[in-house]
Amino acid sequence: MSVQPNPTNFSPANSLPPTQRAWHRQPRLRLIILLLFVVVLAASFYLIQLRRNSVPLGPQRTVETINPKVGIHTRLTDEVEPWKIKRTLEMVREMGSPWIVEYFPWAYVEAEPGRFDWAHTDLVIDHAERQGIEVIARLGFVPGWARPAESSPLYLDEDRFADFGAYAAEFATRYAGRVRYIIIWNEPNLALEWGYAEVDPAKYVTMLKTVYPMIKAANPEVQVLAGALAPTLAPPGSPDGMNDLDYLETMYDLGAADFFDILSIHAYGWYSDPNEPADPGVVNFRRSELLRAIMVAHGDEEKHAMITEGGWNDHPRWTRAVRPGQRIDYTLRAYQVAQEEWPWMDAVALWAFRYPWDAKSYQDYFTFVRTDFEPKPIYEELQRYTQGELAQDELPLENALNQPQPVQGEQP
Amino acid sequence: MSARLRWMVGVALLLVVAVALLIWLRGPESTRLITRLFSRQDATWAEMQARGSWRVGLDPSFPPFEWLDDAGVPVGYDLDLARAIAAEWGMETEIVPIGYDSLVDALQAGRIDSVVSALPYDPRATRDIAFSSPYFDAGVRLAVRVDSTITSTVGLIGGQVAVEWGSMGDMVGRRIQREGVAMELMPYATPTEAVDALLNDPAIDALLLDHVSLREAQGQGANIIAVGPSLESNPYVIAMPLRAYDLQERVAATLTQLANDGTLAALEERWFGPLPAGIEP
Repeated sequence: MSVQPNPTNFSPANSLPPTQRAWHRQPRLRLIILLLFVVVLAASFYLIQLRRNSVPLGPQRTVETINPKVGIHTRLTDEVEPWKIKRTLEMVREMGSPWIVEYFPWAYVEAEPGRFDWAHTDLVIDHAERQGIEVIARLGFVPGWARPAESSPLYLDEDRFADFGAYAAEFATRYAGRVRYIIIWNEPNLALEWGYAEVDPAKYVTMLKTVYPMIKAANPEVQVLAGALAPTLAPPGSPDGMNDLDYLETMYDLGAADFFDILSIHAYGWYSDPNEPADPGVVNFRRSELLRAIMVAHGDEEKHAMITEGGWNDHPRWTRAVRPGQRIDYTLRAYQVAQEEWPWMDAVALWAFRYPWDAKSYQDYFTFVRTDFEPKPIYEELQRYTQGELAQDELPLENALNQPQPVQGEQP
Repeated sequence: MSARLRWMVGVALLLVVAVALLIWLRGPESTRLITRLFSRQDATWAEMQARGSWRVGLDPSFPPFEWLDDAGVPVGYDLDLARAIAAEWGMETEIVPIGYDSLVDALQAGRIDSVVSALPYDPRATRDIAFSSPYFDAGVRLAVRVDSTITSTVGLIGGQVAVEWGSMGDMVGRRIQREGVAMELMPYATPTEAVDALLNDPAIDALLLDHVSLREAQGQGANIIAVGPSLESNPYVIAMPLRAYDLQERVAATLTQLANDGTLAALEERWFGPLPAGIEP
């Protein structure tokens, strides 16, 4: 016997398949599914927004300075908020620095082999370019997949040099015409920076010989910086490191000259005046001249150099620190030395503009700007220098002391 | 209301309570509270009691808080403070000299029980270590001659203010200018020269200086006083292991006691010298 549908009991749900009818009859279930959908949608938008440059780049700017060699090492690697990256680079421009050195860790970009995440790197390069700042890119920091288990991210086996070269080549390709300087590794003459392995100039030269041609093949215009040697008086055989002068000599002896375009120098002054003469037994600012002498001695005088770290510290307790006023004086005169006396020096990028957070140690007293972006006096004095507001034929210290300082915003 | 609906409302309420708890329980204080609920062990304090001593790490390179005397013995405010605290507990003090930048590592590694070394408070470090309340604020102060009518930064309008060039006082002075106080900053090479300028140059109306330098100058006879609150706080605190709950409680109680009974003021006078006549600590 067939049952005829009762027109008075008709409901659209009755005409649906059983499963759909169940869904239709359970408004709470529908509500939960709808809420889940909204949550997933909102989370997706949030994640997309996180990965986007959510801060407008702003108009194209240029750096105004009387000393085009003034530079600074920024520390944007761990700065996750786009507005802070932008503000940092705005303040670098306003300080009158046309150069920055910035670190682009391999492990951050290529956490898995062949999968590159350029989001953060793009952010830094985009904002730097918009502020008219030239980026000197320091590459290093090995992802877990490219090194032995339990090893330091600063350790790299020779059979992985080509992987590092592939990352560097990708970098050079992606930022062709925008990033023209790449530093290969950092302070390889220190055991700490060499992955706690024995310091080995031959291995570093092998790295250069592997990575340099890969970068050049990807982008012949890029200038490759080598060295970035830590100034150290470590005695021969020290487990901590190798004297930077000896290390550079060895690099040349091993044929490194054809595998870098510019020498990267670290020039810390510790407690000495920038005019203190160079001396192989002393770490001071003019130690750069000794490294230059080695270049010249090896017939590499056409090649230039860049200081990619350096400067002075004014921590009240650190034994290698100076008074805050001395730090300002030494810093400004160091930039001036490079401008007036060192035609072979293209840039002087001192350590460091700002940290993402306070180290709460002597390291905080290397910075020019506080973590909250409040400028330290050294920032404002350097700004006055680059804007031509300080007399060039007198020492800044003598200019500044015992004279009223202009009220902020006033023209001197 | 159906049973099922009541059940769902109940679950929702439980979820709300759980979320509220999670929000409330964020941060080291809450972590400490939870840990204390389930584990009351304070190994640091237990070891101190068994040993009969408090191992205090410090870097003897920052007078008058800690430095080495002519015989190479660590002396200073922090040593006396540590001994005064330990004495309240009936314990000896073992001083462990350690480089400043290794003090916190030594604490976390268990080499020492506490750091008493003019250590500034670090909010980021509270995930790893515990801090006492401040026993000295080394921040930037506004200082004037004792007969000055200036009582705050507002009184600096139109005046001249001495600073050590490039110092925190200089930075605060520039900040005050940016905030609209029209004054002139007079930079000097050292804190001593800035203090001398305030004392001897009638054109100088005030001084912006860290409290350590200011207090040293006062102790050496400079007739100047700090007015208003600290303009850039830099509190010195005692650092302890995160799970040393008993030790933390005892340090807190003893610091309060030493403040109330005048011991901290006496230590300050001993190591910095007396305040100008008529000035309360």
